[in-house]
Amino acid sequence: MDWQGQKLAEKLMQIFLVAFAIVAFVVGYALGSFQAMLLIYAGGVLLTALVTVPNWPAFNRHQLIWLDPSEVDRHPRPQAAASQSLKKKTTKQK
Amino acid sequence: MHSFGQRANAIATFSLTILAVICSLASFTDNFSAPSPKAEVKVSNFNWLQKQRNGNDEASLTLNISADLQSLFTWNTKQVFVFLAAEYETPKNALNQISLWDKIISSKDLAKFSIRISNKYRFIDQGSNLRGRDYNLTLHWHVMPKTGKMFADKMSMTGFRLPEEYR
Repeated sequence: MDWQGQKLAEKLMQIFLVAFAIVAFVVGYALGSFQAMLLIYAGGVLLTALVTVPNWPAFNRHQLIWLDPSEVDRHPRPQAAASQSLKKKTTKQK
Repeated sequence: MHSFGQRANAIATFSLTILAVICSLASFTDNFSAPSPKAEVKVSNFNWLQKQRNGNDEASLTLNISADLQSLFTWNTKQVFVFLAAEYETPKNALNQISLWDKIISSKDLAKFSIRISNKYRFIDQGSNLRGRDYNLTLHWHVMPKTGKMFADKMSMTGFRLPEEYR
């Protein structure tokens, strides 16, 4: 799961659970049945788990594009000495 | 949220938190119900009053109990425990309570009833205080909700008197 997918999964989980809780409570109260409330909510939790827990392809649409390892050879890390000389140059300019 | 286990854990904790919230709300809705239970108890026959060999008085009665406790039931009520107690005052104790009969009412349909029964539990005083004693019959009920706090109430029927002599 990529970064965007993780964010989406968490948001979906929260919205689904709260929505199912509201529906379950309202229906349970209207029918006067505590059992109906619990069953609807349990169903909601199962559905939410099915949607957000497995690593579905929809959560993998924003893969990070890493640089090719060959880039390391083409752009070597700057040497410590070189950076010092750079600093000196900048101070002189002042 | 980066792994299967993490997401499973997140959904388990959040869903249980919400479950606690909706159960509290369900319990809260009980505040809006205003129960109006009705009950009537009569002593249809006084069977006997005796002195036991150890000196304690024991009485036996036949009771007519009719009650309509349906209004105690809400969608959050699991069951109602109801019991009938004989209550009287003696020189030694300001309040004596003896449970004579009880019942567990498990559904609203069974909450309206009328029965004639001799006392289920023995009416025995700890001493010999029953002769000529005024007593009242009190119907107590304890409402047990599915979630939330239990509550209890009672209804007293006064004006009963035990006979002056053993018989």
